[in-house]
Amino acid sequence: MGLLSLLIFLPLLATALILLLPATMRQSYKYIALGITVVQFALSGWLYSQFDNAASGINQINGFQFVEQLPWIRLDLGSLGQLEIDYFLGVDGVSLPLLVLSAFVMLMAIGASWNVTKSTKGYFSLLMLLNMAVMGIFCALDFFLFYIFYEVMLLPLYFLIGIWGGVNREYAAIKFFIYTLFGSVFMLLIIVGLYFSVINPETGANTFNMLHMMNPNNYVDGSFFAYLNNYYEVLGIPARMLGFIVLFIAFAIKIPIVPLHTWLPDAHVEAPTPVSIILAGILLKIGGYGIIRVCLSIFPDAAVDANWWLGLIGVISILYGALNALAQKDLKRLIAYSSVSHMGFVLLGVASLTAEGISGALFQMLSHGFLSAALFFLVGVIYDRVHDRNIYNFRGLATHMPAYTGFVAVAFFASLGLPGFSAFIGEAFVIIGTFNAESVGTGVSRWMAIAGSVGILLSASYLLWTLQRMFFGQTRFKGGEDWATLLTDVSARERTILFPTLTLALLLGIMPSLVFDKMNATVLNLVSLVTQYL
Amino acid sequence: MNYLLNISPIVASMLVVLLPFVAFIIQAILGKKSTSGIFSLVAILLSTILSGVFVFAEVWNGKPLHADYTWFTIGEKTFNIGILLNNMTVLMQFIVCIIALPVHIYSKSYLKGDSGLHRYWMYLSLFCFAMLGLTISKNLLVMYIFWELVGFASYLLIGFWFTKESAVQANKKAFLINRIGDLGFLIGLAILFSTFGTLDLVEIVGKDGLFFQSIIDINSGLITAAGICFFLGAMAKSAQFPLHLWLPDAMEGPTSVSSLIHAATMVAAGVFLLSSIFPLFNGTVLLIIAIIGTITAITSAFFAVAQYDIKKVLAFSTISQLGYMMVAVGIGAWDAAMFHLATHAFFKCLLFLSAGAVIHEMAHLKAHTNLDFDPQDLRNMGGLRQYMPKTFVMMAIASLALAGFPLTSGFLSKDAIVISAFEWAIQQGGLTIVIPIVLVIVSILTAFYIGRLIFKAFFGTLRFDVGDKVHLHEAPKTMLIPMAFLAVCSLFIVFSWNPFSYANAAILNGLVVNYTFPEIHALHTIIPIVLTATALISWVIGYSWYVKGKYPLNANSSWIDFAQNQFDMNEWMMRAFVNPTFKIGKISFWFDKYIVDGIVNGSAYITRQVSALITWIDKYIVDGIVNGVASLAYELGNALRTFQNGRLQSYLGLTMTVVLIGIIYLILK
Repeated sequence: MGLLSLLIFLPLLATALILLLPATMRQSYKYIALGITVVQFALSGWLYSQFDNAASGINQINGFQFVEQLPWIRLDLGSLGQLEIDYFLGVDGVSLPLLVLSAFVMLMAIGASWNVTKSTKGYFSLLMLLNMAVMGIFCALDFFLFYIFYEVMLLPLYFLIGIWGGVNREYAAIKFFIYTLFGSVFMLLIIVGLYFSVINPETGANTFNMLHMMNPNNYVDGSFFAYLNNYYEVLGIPARMLGFIVLFIAFAIKIPIVPLHTWLPDAHVEAPTPVSIILAGILLKIGGYGIIRVCLSIFPDAAVDANWWLGLIGVISILYGALNALAQKDLKRLIAYSSVSHMGFVLLGVASLTAEGISGALFQMLSHGFLSAALFFLVGVIYDRVHDRNIYNFRGLATHMPAYTGFVAVAFFASLGLPGFSAFIGEAFVIIGTFNAESVGTGVSRWMAIAGSVGILLSASYLLWTLQRMFFGQTRFKGGEDWATLLTDVSARERTILFPTLTLALLLGIMPSLVFDKMNATVLNLVSLVTQYL
Repeated sequence: MNYLLNISPIVASMLVVLLPFVAFIIQAILGKKSTSGIFSLVAILLSTILSGVFVFAEVWNGKPLHADYTWFTIGEKTFNIGILLNNMTVLMQFIVCIIALPVHIYSKSYLKGDSGLHRYWMYLSLFCFAMLGLTISKNLLVMYIFWELVGFASYLLIGFWFTKESAVQANKKAFLINRIGDLGFLIGLAILFSTFGTLDLVEIVGKDGLFFQSIIDINSGLITAAGICFFLGAMAKSAQFPLHLWLPDAMEGPTSVSSLIHAATMVAAGVFLLSSIFPLFNGTVLLIIAIIGTITAITSAFFAVAQYDIKKVLAFSTISQLGYMMVAVGIGAWDAAMFHLATHAFFKCLLFLSAGAVIHEMAHLKAHTNLDFDPQDLRNMGGLRQYMPKTFVMMAIASLALAGFPLTSGFLSKDAIVISAFEWAIQQGGLTIVIPIVLVIVSILTAFYIGRLIFKAFFGTLRFDVGDKVHLHEAPKTMLIPMAFLAVCSLFIVFSWNPFSYANAAILNGLVVNYTFPEIHALHTIIPIVLTATALISWVIGYSWYVKGKYPLNANSSWIDFAQNQFDMNEWMMRAFVNPTFKIGKISFWFDKYIVDGIVNGSAYITRQVSALITWIDKYIVDGIVNGVASLAYELGNALRTFQNGRLQSYLGLTMTVVLIGIIYLILK
């Protein structure tokens, strides 16, 4: 069993253990989950250190590291030929940092779940199931396998929001579930279409192998998604563009883009803190990852035609999300909208099709991963204490909870892109890359970079305004003295979670090479793969 | 030991930057346990020594040095953290050190007993780190990082008293307005990066830089845009009209902070940036810079005249003087801008520190007498000369320097700008002559408002009748000594041996700039005389108005109110930008809630209604047909059953009926 398999299926072991142990030992569940995730984090860290920086990934199997490829399902379908599904795993510069991020965010989420009391058995086993699914998504290189992990991920999330969530949890859970399913059902159609269009050059059988799908030579002439001489159209849209659009929508829902974002504020507001952390920290990244791994790599010819629109959607998300955040009274909803805004940078950077822009987008994904997780955790801190998150019900927290305010201030300034923190590197290079796109000729306009930078200004506005409204001034709470006693400063456990997270944001902001070195070769390969169709 | 003395300027300059950072870290870790500020003090002292002895003395008028350290690679482009040491950067670094040191010492007494003192030292060291790093950055991206960090430190220090509502409003405003400029800077970087593929200052505007290899057309739209973007950055940082609005509000911070950050160093960073990348600017951009600088200088001089708050007078004066520096950059005499930056740093810092001493004493008076008054309001002062003679003398020296009086440093630098502006305008011809004329008017106004400040605060008699036990006395030594040092530095001798001509000023000779306009000798005599004479006249007027009490104007006139409120610019900006943004935010949230989410929920509703309809169809139509068929069969069977009753009579009757019907049928047919 390879290292990646180990990384993916370790959480399953935890699930099994938790399910088998009797309820009298319920105190041990969180320790099991924590222990397994620590091992996972260590393992992913080890993979990170062992990764060969020269690996170019994307469309070359020898560019991937820690590859595992086993025949999984082989079925003779008669006239339809041989069904060929592989258990195919591997990582490159795009997926590896996200694996480490996932393990890290999962650790944070478990730390945030420490005080969960409602049926812990179900809770932690679902959490571990989710852990398995996200790891699988980032490792899978067979589209069928990818899809399975993608769908498996939905199930635990649905229950985690629907059972452990807030007042309106059922609405939010269903909304989230249907939204994602809406995208993935159509994705399945495209996967099947691709399957029948692509042939494994070695065996001659149709295949789900994503790397084969990235090579134009493997497409059957005259097939639905063929590169050359493809005259298929649906509703006037060429087949390959259609495939791109459908896959894009599936992943764009996850990012999420405006106007497919409305599941996000509801899901975040209703979800318990740990699930919000996972949603913001990992789930949204799957969208960005999918666009790079699937949309851009399998349909590069369509991507170069569509990238102006992708950039436009990115800019709209940035501005729209930020403006909405400005109008929020619920702190958690504010952060949820700020996620929409910050993830817009990811789409904008990817759309730029420049090395700087795509690297910036990937960096922004990582940075947003742990910064938004930290922000949701910080919201959870006061919500745990007084079960209120309305911005106007708090004032002058700085005098009352100085350490908490310190953490919030650092997290806010890191999120608004203060240099020295990771978000700055991500956003700055998205802007620079986007601006550069017109010189390179990828079709994204310069004004998008300028409009995107306005988003940076707006994010400073809503975060600083919140800081001023909630934390500065004379102390005054809606709940009066009761709240004052309830609102104790951050505990040791909370410090242990927040401190490493914010340190990481600082570390990556000062030494971005820690990440860029791993991803440069892959990003350059991706850029050359896509830009040959310009 | 020998090794230690042979420390290279590059290493020394890095230490200069890093020492305050170390102090910041130590102070952050110690927190409340250390409030003496000893780490910050030692750090800035060592930085000053290193900067003076091992950097400035080594590099000034020597060979420029630079060093690069690889930072990271993105795609194929590598970014370096570079250090650039030339006359301008080492001068700037040294100025920052030499101003920061006295302010640190002064702060020790000034803020004694404040409960947040540990934060103060921490923030102050952070500021010094960022500002010193800014001065010697070779890579523009690194410079941008420090640029934003100084803004951040300024945010923290303006909001130092964070329970005060006005302070936290002010720091938010400062940061956001600076952010607007930062975006300009960032877009400027993006333009340079996409044009040259690098952000290294030496590679772009160095002697053999890409800029001079005629790859690009300096008058192209893109380079003009880059110039305007960088100027936008400088406008926000250096408080140029109309982005100056944050600076008067920033006076909510401690006065020592105002003196260091919001008068001497940070606000000058914009001028420094423009001087660093000066070759990038073409004629269009330069003209814009000169015009904005002129507007800034004149408007804020007007505002300064009408202020009652002693710090606000100085704040507007700072803005006005920064306008002077901008004009100097705009006319191509950026060496004069740097010269004025240097002299201004000393005398403006001193003005603020003196004002701080005055406010300090007024606040003491307030505390002792239990009177309720604003200790910063000039109308509450008067006659302080008797109680604080040393402060008075030093503030007077600084004021003379600000007014550009002979024998002071301000005389030299201001003349350099005004004379160059005349020479430039005469060469350019046309309406450009307005710019130097406005500068002269500003100079007169400057003399007037600073005279007004001195007369109101130090002359006449104290407004309050406090009887015999006057609690006003001279500031403590730890405050006076730094002020004395700055007072010496406000004299001509520090900058030039010749008190009457800037031609001998070391800074101007050190920064070699090729002027595009010829020198006109007559102006070098006429202008200084005119400026000095008008300053004297304005003081005579001021003396009779404010000391003799022959005030001819109505103090409550709407014009004075209007100038005091900066022509209502704050309100106007609120109406034009802030409120609409909130409005758009609210509208977009409404849109999100009712339209976007409405569509989502609407389609869910429609799906539910359709499925309800289908359920109904299923139940009443589809199932209805099934049940209908069943009941039909049943009813039919039921009906037919009655015939099968086993009675012969009915069978016969039935047969008869059928036969009868048959016969009728046959007949009718």
